[in-house]
Amino acid sequence: MYNNVGAQRPGQQPPFPPQANPFGTTFSGAGSGLLRSGLTAYGEKIFGSSSEYVQSNISRYFADPQYYFQVNDDYVRNKLKVVLFPFLHRGHWTRVTEPMAGKISYKPPIYDINAPDLYIPTMAFLSYVMLAGLTLGLYGKFTPETVNWLLMKGLVGWFLEVSLLKLTLMSLSSGETPLLDIVAYAGYSFAGISLALLGKLFWRHSYYILLPWSCVCMGVFLVKTMKRVLYAEVRSYDSGKHHVLLLLNALAQIPLFLWLGNITVSWLF
Amino acid sequence: MPKEFTIPPVTFPTSNTPNPTTTTTTTNTPQAPHLHQRQPPTAPFQPPRPSASSLPFMSFDIASTSTSTTSSPFFPPPSSTSSASALFAGEEPSLLEELEINPSLIWRKTLSLIHPFRLNTSLHSDPDLSGPFLYYFAFSLFQLLAGKVQFGVILGWLAISSIFLYSILNFLAGKNGNLDLYRSFSVVGYCLLPIVIYSAASLFLPPTPTTAAFLIAAVFVIWATRVSSRLLAVDDLGASDHRALIAYPCFLIYSLFSMLVMF
Repeated sequence: MYNNVGAQRPGQQPPFPPQANPFGTTFSGAGSGLLRSGLTAYGEKIFGSSSEYVQSNISRYFADPQYYFQVNDDYVRNKLKVVLFPFLHRGHWTRVTEPMAGKISYKPPIYDINAPDLYIPTMAFLSYVMLAGLTLGLYGKFTPETVNWLLMKGLVGWFLEVSLLKLTLMSLSSGETPLLDIVAYAGYSFAGISLALLGKLFWRHSYYILLPWSCVCMGVFLVKTMKRVLYAEVRSYDSGKHHVLLLLNALAQIPLFLWLGNITVSWLF
Repeated sequence: MPKEFTIPPVTFPTSNTPNPTTTTTTTNTPQAPHLHQRQPPTAPFQPPRPSASSLPFMSFDIASTSTSTTSSPFFPPPSSTSSASALFAGEEPSLLEELEINPSLIWRKTLSLIHPFRLNTSLHSDPDLSGPFLYYFAFSLFQLLAGKVQFGVILGWLAISSIFLYSILNFLAGKNGNLDLYRSFSVVGYCLLPIVIYSAASLFLPPTPTTAAFLIAAVFVIWATRVSSRLLAVDDLGASDHRALIAYPCFLIYSLFSMLVMF
């Protein structure tokens, strides 16, 4: 499949000449040549050479992942504080917009503490896998295959959370939020779960304090974030329906956290 | 059972007397006599020689070897071919050079990694996969000594973590990212050295569930993280506001490897 682009050594080619290509701005730089060339080849293979169709469909789902990784140390530290202690967040929760060629777009995460990013969810997810592996090892059940198992379980949990948020947004608004935004919001839950697992390693009973704490914090975080997302999208504000659904969201975190936090090698408990 | 040919068999000017034992293989082509003759090929089309008759070809002289090199798959041993090319090229590169294994460079890089505080990052600017290969083998063999057969697991984890590190760091760096996949493999592989030492040491150290064992593991993991984040921060990401962001994925990778050793 990648024969036509695989002939060049990946990553050591000069940047591609600009093409009428949605990924032209997304994956620039020598390092991402392989990603871009692979995706371009794949897209062209599926849709022929009509880049318009590619643009309209793929970029609707994977809108520019580069945006979500523009982070720095300060942002990560402050965002973790917001996720783990949302009550202490003094500022507002709305994202800072910048008008750009007639379309409203949001500032990248470096400039805006409320912007979602994908670095923290990814790292939190992998921390979850690592800590869960460590916990399993203390029970004597660690093998390399359990790492795969924990990865799959975490991914299923992430997917469930994403679908929960997506259903909420679809039923309440026009559903134009980029998918990666929702993936990012869902992934923040792993930060809380990782904290609970870390506590469990040091003192067994701290788990029973930290897990409800992170559950409640994630619920609050999601409610506040979703409210802002809905404000930004919906014309009419039907407060009854909105509030009920947002509360259901927050309550649904409880079984999800219990399931993800329970580290065993079987599917349920 | 011989067939009746309407075309007379083709005889080439260099052919000698036809082989008396032509009855064994029933080939119906006019070039049948050539299959049993030990002659350098002069016809443009040559059927592939059967492997049973490859032994006689070892007695070829070099001139005919070089002309027939490209046509037949069953060939004289490589030494004669390379000596043939050597004779033509004028000098012979050593095998290690051809394979691009540079033992002195590997040794220098290893020494630079062992000292945990002073790191010569310029040595690592040209990536190299032969050192990581040696470390992978050493790691797997030490694990084998501990009773765990994990050759495939370690190789797979090395590959996946290199690809993961490559993608994450290029996303973080944005347009300035100049980490290529080969260098990512090289860095992850070289910084495996502390974990190799840990797996060698863990054969003699107290078993895992004790606190001391965890502390020792933590020392090695932090050593590996420090070294790898220093090596990776040589790019434009070296700005001080990204150091923790680079170090954390490295920490995760090496802690996963150390869990292989611990449990």
